[in-house]
Amino acid sequence: MGLETEKIWIYPSIKSQEKSSDLISAVDHFDTVIFASPLYINSLPASVTETMELIVNHRKTTKMTKKQQLLAISNCGFPGAHHNDTALAIYRLFAAESGFEWAGGLALGMGAAINGRSLNKIGSMARNVKKSLELTATALAKGKPVSQDAVDLMAKQPIPSWIYMQIGEIRWKCQAKKNKVRTKSIYNRPYQR
Amino acid sequence: MKALILDGSTEENFTLKIVHDVIIDEFKNIGWKVNSRVLRDLKIGSCYGCFKCWVQTPGICVIDDVERDIAKETIQSDLLIFLTPVTFGGYSSELKKAVDRLIPLVMPFFIKIDGEVHHKSRYERYPSLMGIGVLPNEDKESEQSFKTLVNRNAINFHSPIHTAGVIISNQDKELIREEIKTLLSEVGVKK
Repeated sequence: MGLETEKIWIYPSIKSQEKSSDLISAVDHFDTVIFASPLYINSLPASVTETMELIVNHRKTTKMTKKQQLLAISNCGFPGAHHNDTALAIYRLFAAESGFEWAGGLALGMGAAINGRSLNKIGSMARNVKKSLELTATALAKGKPVSQDAVDLMAKQPIPSWIYMQIGEIRWKCQAKKNKVRTKSIYNRPYQR
Repeated sequence: MKALILDGSTEENFTLKIVHDVIIDEFKNIGWKVNSRVLRDLKIGSCYGCFKCWVQTPGICVIDDVERDIAKETIQSDLLIFLTPVTFGGYSSELKKAVDRLIPLVMPFFIKIDGEVHHKSRYERYPSLMGIGVLPNEDKESEQSFKTLVNRNAINFHSPIHTAGVIISNQDKELIREEIKTLLSEVGVKK
């Protein structure tokens, strides 16, 4: 599409004054800002909330004249994408408070099935996610909001919940074993009173 | 009986200070022990999302800071109280930092609760949860989002009872006291 893009990792960017200033300048510069985050305890990770607080504080003194749109993508490890609803509601309220036009939110469940890998290498498991992102990119480039088709495709479960839950249990146990943690010890209660 | 307050005010907040003091007063009256953590005064690292607290040091976060004590105090309390300025309909970053790192208190494995998938409990018992948010002005959408978030947290943390309330800034102290009393009674706090 020939659009200028930039990707910023939030976590390291709020570790220093200089880097957070760069992040805020970038947010001011672009026509579209996309927040993509995992679901932490039903909402956004603390570092994303901190970034949003910085942006709102900055915009109290710097008036934005251009129109900007904001898209949010939230992914969770639970099978159901609806777990992300609370996070997307928070993003939408942030957009309103900081002067962004709300372009919409995409919710992804079964995030562990992708687990940071390239969508091109996952095959059919990521087919709907790719389609959703393609639709979304086309809409945003035209300054339009996210379509319901894109929302539905992103939320679609690639496998049944019960299979995902069983695979998940096996994977956690394998990871523990690699760390020389016995299965029984996974259930430890170090703070039992 | 024990209560733990996680105070997520990002700066000195007049209304949150009153709410905090009223809660301490009320607990004194009924003979509960109460421990209060002002989170902005503590150096708490952010959760990396590494899941080592599940598969490497089960039940304990690998970041060795005061949050380990907070997690322990949480599970050993009868009531956990979140105090926060309502921030985009959620918690302040100060409170969220502490809440994110409570994940070692549950298991990596899944369980269905009322037909919905959540994490299994690690412990036999969990504290009840009370969330109190402060808003500068009435804002129904932010209030609803905040209450929904507390409700969702209560399900994930297996809280036996939970409640959430929003207080508008600069209210009279006695009105605040009445609201706190109502919330405490909703969450089953009694002498």
